[in-house]
Amino acid sequence: MDSNLPCFILFILIGCVKCSSDNHHHNGTRRYDYCVLGAGPAGLQMGYFLSKAKRDYIILERNSGPGSFFNKYPRHRKLISINKIHTGRQNREFNLRHDWNSLLSDRPDLLLKRVSTEFYPPADAFPLYLSMFVKELGLKVRYGVDIGMIRAVQSASGRSYILTDQHAADYTCSVLLVATGLWVPQKVQFVGSDLVEGYESISTNPEDYKDQAVLILGKGNSAFETAQSILGRASQVHMLSSSPVRLAWQTHYVGDLRAVNNELIDTYQLKSLDGLAEARLDKIGITQRKEQGGRRLGAQKKGQFYLTLKKYTQHQEKKNSSDVTGEEMPGYHIDNFSMRKPYDRVIRCLGFRFNFSVFDSSACPPNSDNAKGRLPGVTAWYEGINISGLFVLGTAAHSRDYRSSAGGFVHGFRYTARAVHRVLEQRYHSNRWPSTKLLITQLQSWILKRLGEASGPYQMFEVLGDVILLRGSHCEYVEEFTLQALPQFSSLSGHEVSNHGLIVLVMQYGHNKIDYLGWTRAETDWTKAWKSNFLHPVLYYYDKLPTEEEMKLRPHGWPLPRPKAIHHMVEDFLAEWETPISHIQPLRRFLEHCVQTDLRAFYAESCFRSSLSHRKPPLFCQQGYLKQQGVVHNSQLWQHVHDAGLMPTEQDAGTSGADPAFPNYLAQAGASMSSGLKLDF
Amino acid sequence: MWLCIAVFLLWMRSGGCSEKANTSELIEYTAADFYEKLHSGKMMFIYFEHHVSPTISLFLVELEKSADALQDYGVLVGKVNCNKELVQAYCTEERERHTAFLFRAGKEFLGFDLDTVFDVNSIVSEVLFAILREEVKYVHTDTDLLAMEKAARGKKDIVLGYVRSLGTQEHRSMMETAYVYGSKYQFILITGGPVLKHLGVDELSHSSQVWFLHCRAHSGLTTSLSSERCPLTRMRKPLSTLSLHSFLQLMEAPLVSEVYDDPSSVQPPQFPYQLTPQVFLFSRPATKQQDLDTATTLAWRLRGLALLVLVHRQSPAVKTSGEYNAAYRLPEKSSEVKYLTLHDHDEVLELFTNQEEEDEEEDEGWLEDEEVDSHFTKLDDEIAASVYENRGNFPDMDSITQLTSDNFHTAVTQSSLTVALFYLKWDAVSMAFLNSFIEVSERLADSEVQMSTVDCGEWTDLCAAQPGRSLPIPFQPITAFPSVLLLRPQESARHYRGMLGSEALHRFIMLSHPDSPVLLSTKEEVTSFLQEVPHPELAGYNPDRVLGLFKTQAHAGVPLFTEAAKSLRGEVLTALLTHGLAEKWAGEHAVVLPAVLVFPSWRTRTPPSTLPVSTSAEELLSHIHSALLHPLPELTVENLPSFLSLGKALLLLFVGEEEDEIGRRQNQALVEEMRGVVELGGVRMQRYLACWIHLGRTPAGMSVLGAYLGSMPPLPALVLSHLPSGCEIYQYPPNTPILASSVLQWLQRIEDGAESAAGMLGEDSWPPAVEFLDFLKIMDMQEPDSAQQQTPEEEEEEEEEEEGNKEEDEVVEKAADSSRSSPDNNPHSEL
Repeated sequence: MDSNLPCFILFILIGCVKCSSDNHHHNGTRRYDYCVLGAGPAGLQMGYFLSKAKRDYIILERNSGPGSFFNKYPRHRKLISINKIHTGRQNREFNLRHDWNSLLSDRPDLLLKRVSTEFYPPADAFPLYLSMFVKELGLKVRYGVDIGMIRAVQSASGRSYILTDQHAADYTCSVLLVATGLWVPQKVQFVGSDLVEGYESISTNPEDYKDQAVLILGKGNSAFETAQSILGRASQVHMLSSSPVRLAWQTHYVGDLRAVNNELIDTYQLKSLDGLAEARLDKIGITQRKEQGGRRLGAQKKGQFYLTLKKYTQHQEKKNSSDVTGEEMPGYHIDNFSMRKPYDRVIRCLGFRFNFSVFDSSACPPNSDNAKGRLPGVTAWYEGINISGLFVLGTAAHSRDYRSSAGGFVHGFRYTARAVHRVLEQRYHSNRWPSTKLLITQLQSWILKRLGEASGPYQMFEVLGDVILLRGSHCEYVEEFTLQALPQFSSLSGHEVSNHGLIVLVMQYGHNKIDYLGWTRAETDWTKAWKSNFLHPVLYYYDKLPTEEEMKLRPHGWPLPRPKAIHHMVEDFLAEWETPISHIQPLRRFLEHCVQTDLRAFYAESCFRSSLSHRKPPLFCQQGYLKQQGVVHNSQLWQHVHDAGLMPTEQDAGTSGADPAFPNYLAQAGASMSSGLKLDF
Repeated sequence: MWLCIAVFLLWMRSGGCSEKANTSELIEYTAADFYEKLHSGKMMFIYFEHHVSPTISLFLVELEKSADALQDYGVLVGKVNCNKELVQAYCTEERERHTAFLFRAGKEFLGFDLDTVFDVNSIVSEVLFAILREEVKYVHTDTDLLAMEKAARGKKDIVLGYVRSLGTQEHRSMMETAYVYGSKYQFILITGGPVLKHLGVDELSHSSQVWFLHCRAHSGLTTSLSSERCPLTRMRKPLSTLSLHSFLQLMEAPLVSEVYDDPSSVQPPQFPYQLTPQVFLFSRPATKQQDLDTATTLAWRLRGLALLVLVHRQSPAVKTSGEYNAAYRLPEKSSEVKYLTLHDHDEVLELFTNQEEEDEEEDEGWLEDEEVDSHFTKLDDEIAASVYENRGNFPDMDSITQLTSDNFHTAVTQSSLTVALFYLKWDAVSMAFLNSFIEVSERLADSEVQMSTVDCGEWTDLCAAQPGRSLPIPFQPITAFPSVLLLRPQESARHYRGMLGSEALHRFIMLSHPDSPVLLSTKEEVTSFLQEVPHPELAGYNPDRVLGLFKTQAHAGVPLFTEAAKSLRGEVLTALLTHGLAEKWAGEHAVVLPAVLVFPSWRTRTPPSTLPVSTSAEELLSHIHSALLHPLPELTVENLPSFLSLGKALLLLFVGEEEDEIGRRQNQALVEEMRGVVELGGVRMQRYLACWIHLGRTPAGMSVLGAYLGSMPPLPALVLSHLPSGCEIYQYPPNTPILASSVLQWLQRIEDGAESAAGMLGEDSWPPAVEFLDFLKIMDMQEPDSAQQQTPEEEEEEEEEEEGNKEEDEVVEKAADSSRSSPDNNPHSEL
């Protein structure tokens, strides 16, 4: 076909560099509606959704098995994503809140716990689990395909992507789903940056660090994981990066330092020999002392490294070596410079970056504004910015919620992958986002149900939220929409927003700096729910979709623009938002405000009264009683209502004969007033 | 209204109908006493008691309480017992039963409807209001007020009170004060009107207010106010008799007093001003007049808040340092004087107004809080509240199988009928119904019916009908709670769509027992189907029955009938009769095959309705449903919906509970008369549904009647409501005998527009009963910018700021030394 020629040219241009001479199956191209690049957790997750929707797809993987990243990383072979098997609950959806490793599927038992029962599973368990996932769901993965070039072509039938592998074989895809993860080690250039070892290649045998002074660049989990493993052998471990340690239990961001890795904080604060320091890495230098006149300096061992600052070495630009003189050392200038002693090793643990190099300019997403440009820039629905038809999944898509939510981690991106799949279904197959049609009187219960179990909005807090489209007496409940794309809701989801408006349900943390273990850390008074600090539900009511401009200018720290009305449900110690007074009734009143109608439930007798005394009874009676499904009071409960004075007193058949009827009528009328029924006297 | 309040009070006292209020303390006048007092010209407030109903006895209690209060104003309070004493006219006329009377100067002065005098406050305020009718004026507009001011100028000061409604404690305070000070001041009472605008009050404001208009002496003073109007002072304290009294006294205090002593040795204000702060200003001989003018101006502004004292500095006794130009003394605590250097007299004003306002705010805030608190802490949903009240008792689920995703299929297969309740434990309706469900399961404990529940908060995939491993789930996802499904092995589930109560559910389950339709093959079976209930549990219950008669099983109508019968299962007993037996039966009953015979439960003697076999099951169903409806139903809580759905106007007869056989026969005659209306009216009556409510069996009907007419009419009462054309409610003339012909005439008059409505149906919009707590508003108040959209500039700035921080070269140096790192970098550093 017409794509043969460009393919052939491409082959000539790069084929000889990238590939071996083996090109025997280079006959025509393989065509797919969907190509998923990478058989890691995100790629497989997407593969599952595509497979379930019976789409024409292929997952391309350069290694021989799924999740190969985890064959090497984390270097110290312990996952820090929790695998909580015993939650005391049977609710599968709820249990996913505490299972950070499993992927989504309709198989109730296709969970990581089948491979490992450890709370922090060994890293090897993960590729094992992924293999199982591929096998049991029959996902189409082609291993050993190393895509070296990706370019976009525009044809009459639309835009498509051409992927060329190491054998110069082409794959043509209408939609490209990039799930390649992050695996290129992030490096920073500074004087002597060539002298440092990388996390990717360091020894993981603590014995190799015996009695050594080690400087670790970075303060993330890989840095601390490394520090922790050598703590018992190294003489001292110092850690250096531009910003102070951020603790995950304070920031609620799982990419920050997890308590499972933080032993060094302990030894630092208890003034053992370890320490933390801050400096921008591009302003430092790692140097070796120049030997002066061939003399060895005192007890100094050979090959030791000194930390210096760029500004002290700057006048020596002509010289390319990292050997410095005494005057170039900070200790020469600053008397008590904290890191004045030499190190035996310097280790770089700065994380990874996205591999942009395989993308031709026609298909290359821009660098993200955040995360030091390490990630591809994507839209709110994870499509490459200005690269339509190319979506980024998994860790590489973390620029949308970098350092704020869980989109960079399995327990977060499994949900964003689902959201992207729903976008695809709507865009390419006109299948609207799944939704549940509910009576308005059932909405409160449904919201409470979601709050009690939904794992997507719980993990992807402030990023994914449920959208409730109000339609008068009923509503459409759309789950787990990407909040930042709310202005494009209608086109992305296929659901129209009526003039009744919409409610968005989001899980949020408080953003105030607090004493995280102090007395005032939790709010229990529902009337102050908006001051809640822990994860809690927030409902936003809009009368129409917010615009992109409004989204951009949303209040600082908010996931959504200022709504017409907002409701915070007070944080709960058990994360169960179902208490009658503090959670349910305030929620009902908020919903009543949004739909401008009384949403209370009434017993049949009250409905009887309001049906006869009004043209229409309250909504609950319309949707229940008038459909012959009135709620009859149970004799046992009835007694309580009676005692509480909420309901009319029931007449005793025996006594009513004794008195003339008059007072009985009064009793009825009065009681109906106290039950909240408005009688227009 | 009176009805409501009276009953409300009744309920508050939880006295019930039988308890009689103790009224013995109230002075009871004999006829002779009454006439004697009357002729002596005394003022008397008397109620003529005919029959002590609980409501009346409550009123009597209040009347007794007011006797003490009104005694102070020379009004005798008492009652005359008409059962013992006969005071002509008052004891004989019907209308006097709801009226209390005020007598003055030997004759009746005014009658008060009991709905305006229902408690001590309303009795005292209304009686005094009546007595002071001439003295206490009313103004509506500002012009009215101006005229009053002109009239009062140089003579009297005016006290203007605004109360939100009459008969309240505030109204009483105004009246009591007016009674005492009536000769001294001109009293004006308003309850609203444009004049409020002049006074600077928002009519929506809930608090009562009082102003003092200085009209008497005002000409002599130099004020900045327009000389047209009398200067006015607003009372800042909440209105009560006491606060009004002290406010008026304060208005009498000299505006500025001059002293030649040091403030510290000036006496604190004396009675009755001991609770008022003092403000001291200083005067020098050189600027004496100017100082006095300043003091006077300030004094006007401080009026009602503080007393102003002008201290002449030239006196050797004055020790106050020259650096101070003002001082004040607060009433509470020590009588210590505080000295100030003022740049502006507003500062003094602020000192006191702020304090006042704060106090006020606190007070109001507190009151509001209490009210709001009850909104916040009390459940206002009757079902939620009843479940909440019962929260201490856990339902006993022993008799119930709990279905899970794991045991669902096994459990359903094992039982011929599984009744499953899908519930959410936070849904009050679910939990209220769960109790009824348990009751049913206990009644069915020994039957083969398996009663079961599914907790949809836990078994979310089962409730969503997601097949777990292999077997399909025989129902659609459950999206409404509670839901009851009837499950039979190998069949798709059937929704229970009846009342959520134990009786109805139990009956449904029992009626679902036999096949639907039952295939009848012998004459005995036919008889048994038509005459017996399928289960001993149902003894005494008369179900509706439908019988299908077809020539052969192969008849095209049979599947239709069978389908209809399936969906009627549980509600109606159905049977199918074919072949020879059908023909024989049809012949005996003069029916042409094929036919569907409907035997409504209410029809005992007359033959069944015969329906043609329709073309679709839906059509057949709707025919069956309408054939089952009673033409002259007694409306009950349970059956109302099926009749309302007809969309007809209701010609509704309310009959009271019968005390005896005579009453019963009367009621029966009434219902017969209604039947007469239907029959006589013929086609004309088709747009109406003639129906009746027995208030003994359906007591909820009483408040309906009350709502229709505003009060309880004598029974029986016939009303026309739910007209498709409007909200009007018409009442058949109460004292006219209910006769078919006159009812029809009355209906005709209504159609002709010749009758006027006796009431209106309520609105069909049901706005929220309680306003939600507006967090956005609270945020805007407490953290003004936190919830505001950013402006485009802000957003940019922020980004720059972030960048800027990173560029700081200083950061490197500082940061390079961790032990010196700035503490603000790390808010968590606690070492």
